[in-house]
Amino acid sequence: MDLFANLALGFSIAFTPFNLTMAAAGVILGTLIGALPGVGPVSGIALLLPLTFGMPPTSGIIMLAALYAGSMYGGTITSVLINTPGEAASVVTCIDGHQMARQGRAGAALGIAAIGSFVAGTIGVVLLMGMSPLLARWALSFGPPETFALMLLGLTTVTGLTGENALKGYISMVLGLMLSMVGFDLISGDARYTAGLNEMLDGVDFLPVAIGLFGLGEVLAGAERAVRMEILSARYGLRDVLPSLADWARSRWAIARGTVLGFVIGVLPGAGPTIATFLAYSLEKKVSKHPEEFGRGAIEGVAAPESANNAASAGAMVPMLTLGIPGSATTAIMMGGLMMWGLRPGPLLFEKNPDFVWGLIASLYIANVMLLILNIGFIPVFVRALRIPYSILMALIVVFCITGAYSQNNKLWDVGQMLVFGVVGYGMKKLDYSPAALVLALVLGPLAERALRQALIISDSGVLILFQRPISAVLTTLAIVAVAVPVVRAVRQAVAGRGPTMAPTPPSTRQ
Amino acid sequence: MRRADRAGAILLLLFGVWFAAVALRNYTYWSATGPGAGFFPFWLGVAMAALAALLLVRAAREADPGPAWVPRGRGAVRFLGVLGASVAFVALMPWVGMAPGTVLFLVVILKAVEGHSWPVAAGVAVATAAVNWAVFAFWLRVPFPAGVLGF
Repeated sequence: MDLFANLALGFSIAFTPFNLTMAAAGVILGTLIGALPGVGPVSGIALLLPLTFGMPPTSGIIMLAALYAGSMYGGTITSVLINTPGEAASVVTCIDGHQMARQGRAGAALGIAAIGSFVAGTIGVVLLMGMSPLLARWALSFGPPETFALMLLGLTTVTGLTGENALKGYISMVLGLMLSMVGFDLISGDARYTAGLNEMLDGVDFLPVAIGLFGLGEVLAGAERAVRMEILSARYGLRDVLPSLADWARSRWAIARGTVLGFVIGVLPGAGPTIATFLAYSLEKKVSKHPEEFGRGAIEGVAAPESANNAASAGAMVPMLTLGIPGSATTAIMMGGLMMWGLRPGPLLFEKNPDFVWGLIASLYIANVMLLILNIGFIPVFVRALRIPYSILMALIVVFCITGAYSQNNKLWDVGQMLVFGVVGYGMKKLDYSPAALVLALVLGPLAERALRQALIISDSGVLILFQRPISAVLTTLAIVAVAVPVVRAVRQAVAGRGPTMAPTPPSTRQ
Repeated sequence: MRRADRAGAILLLLFGVWFAAVALRNYTYWSATGPGAGFFPFWLGVAMAALAALLLVRAAREADPGPAWVPRGRGAVRFLGVLGASVAFVALMPWVGMAPGTVLFLVVILKAVEGHSWPVAAGVAVATAAVNWAVFAFWLRVPFPAGVLGF
C-alpha cells in the first residue's frame, strides 16, 4: 500500500460523524485547557482518558490528539492577554505577546500565533506521516537488547531534561520503575510487593497515578496561592486578527524556522514542545536584523515559538507510535491509554492497526483546520472562559479527578490510590521532584523489565550483550552519557560542598 | 527545603535497601533459564539507595536552607480544606452516593473554603453534579455507588 491509499483510508475513517464530533470536542476542550492557567495538556489528557473507555480506540486517540494540538493553540491566549502562560509551552510567548497586547496589538499576536500554529501543525503531520512508516520499518528488526536500550535512552533523556534538579529526576524515575514492579510478574507468576492485598495483584494502575499526580496534585499546589488575574481587553474582529502584509513579511520565515526546529526537537526523546519554544525564540533573536525589538513586542517572538510548539507536539507522536517510547509525560499518558485500549504501540502498530494510525493522522489534518477557524473567529469565547475564577475551576477539577479514577474499574480503591498520589504529586512538585519522570517510568517499567530479561536469556555474556550489537551499543552508550553527565556533576558538587543545586537545565519538559 | 531533603533522602535510602532486600529474600534472583522475578527489583533498590545517598550527602553539605515549602496561613487552610473534603467525599461515597456527594462536596469547597455566595456555590454544585451524572452514569454507564437516596 502506498501513502495515498493509506491516507484515503485515514480520511474515510476520520470523516465519519462520530470521529468528526470527537475531533471537534478535542479541539474545543484542548483550546480551553490550554487557555486556562493551572491545567495543561498533561492533566487534560489524564482527566479525559476515562471518557474514551466506552469508545473505539481510534475515536479515543482522535479526541486526545486533537486535545493535545488544541492546548498548544490555547496556551497563547493566556500568555498574550494575562502575561501568565496557560501551559508551559507558551511561557516564552508571554515576553513579546504580552508587550504586543499592551500596545493594543493583541489581535495581531493571537492571529499570527493561530496561523503559525496551523502551518506548523499541518507540516508537522506531513512530516509525521512521511517519517513514521520508515522508522517503524527500521524498528521491526529490533530484538530485546535494542528494545531495552531504546527504553533506557528514553527514560534517561526525559529524566535528565525534566525539571531543574536532575538527581531528583532520576530518583523520581527509579521510584516509578519500583512502583511498576508491584503485582504479578508475567514471566514467573510471582506476586511481587503486594503486601498481601488482593487489590495490589494487578499492580499500581497508571491512570489513578497520572490523575493524582497531574490533576489533584496540581490543584493542591495551586490551592495555596490565590491568583489574581488582569485580562487586557482587545478587539478581535477579522481585521484585527489577520496579519498585515508587514507582519506577514516579518513572520513567515520565523514560522518556517520554528516549524522545522520544533518538529526535530519534538521527535527527540526527552525534549518536548516547551524546550522547542525556548530554542525557537533564541534562534529567532539571533538571526533577526533587529534583535533589540525582542522583548518589546516583536511579532517574530510570538510566531516562532507558537509554530515550534505545534510542530513539536506532532513530532512527539512519532517515537510514541513507531517505537513505543513516549518522549514526554503527555505522550506517556497517551501511550498508557493505547495499552489500556488493548493496542501495542511500536513498529507493529502500523501493520496491525492501519485504520487506527491513519485515522489518527487524517484527523490531525482536520483538527488543525478546525483549530485555525476556532482561534481566528472565536477568540472572545475563550477569553470569556478565562473569567471563571480559579477557585471554582479547581473544585470542578477535583470532581473530575474522582469520577475519572473511579470509572476505569468502578472501584473506590482506585480513587483512594488517586488521592494518595495527589498528595505525593503535591510533595514532588514542592520539593522539585519530577512527576513526569515517575509516570513515564511507570508506563515503561514492565516493558523494560521484560526486554532486559529476554535480552539476558539470549545472551551468553550477561549485560555485555547490550554492547555487542551495533544499534543497542550506540543507544546504551548515549543513555549512559545522559545519566553520567549530571551525576558526575552532582558528585563533584557534593565533594566540593558548593552550589545549592545542579547547573540549571532547561525548564520543565513535562508538557 | 534542606531539612525536607535530608529527611526525604533518608526515607528513600531505607526504602531502596528494603526493596532490594525483599527482592533477594522473596523472589528468585537468577533461575536456570535466566534472570528471575527478583533480578530487576534488586537493582532498582540498589539504584535508589545510591541516588538517595548522593542526595543525602548533597543536602547535608548545603548551607542555604532554601525556600520554605510547608504551606502556611490562608494557603494551608485551602490546602487542608480541599484535601480533607476530597478524602471525606471518597470515604462517604458508598453511603451518600455519587451525585448527592458531588453537590455536598462542591458546596463545602465553594462556600466554606473559598467563600463564594450561596447562589454561586449551590448553582455550580447542582449543575456539575447533573452534567457529571449525565456523562458518566447515563452515557458511559459507570455504576457509581448509589447511597441511601438511591442515586
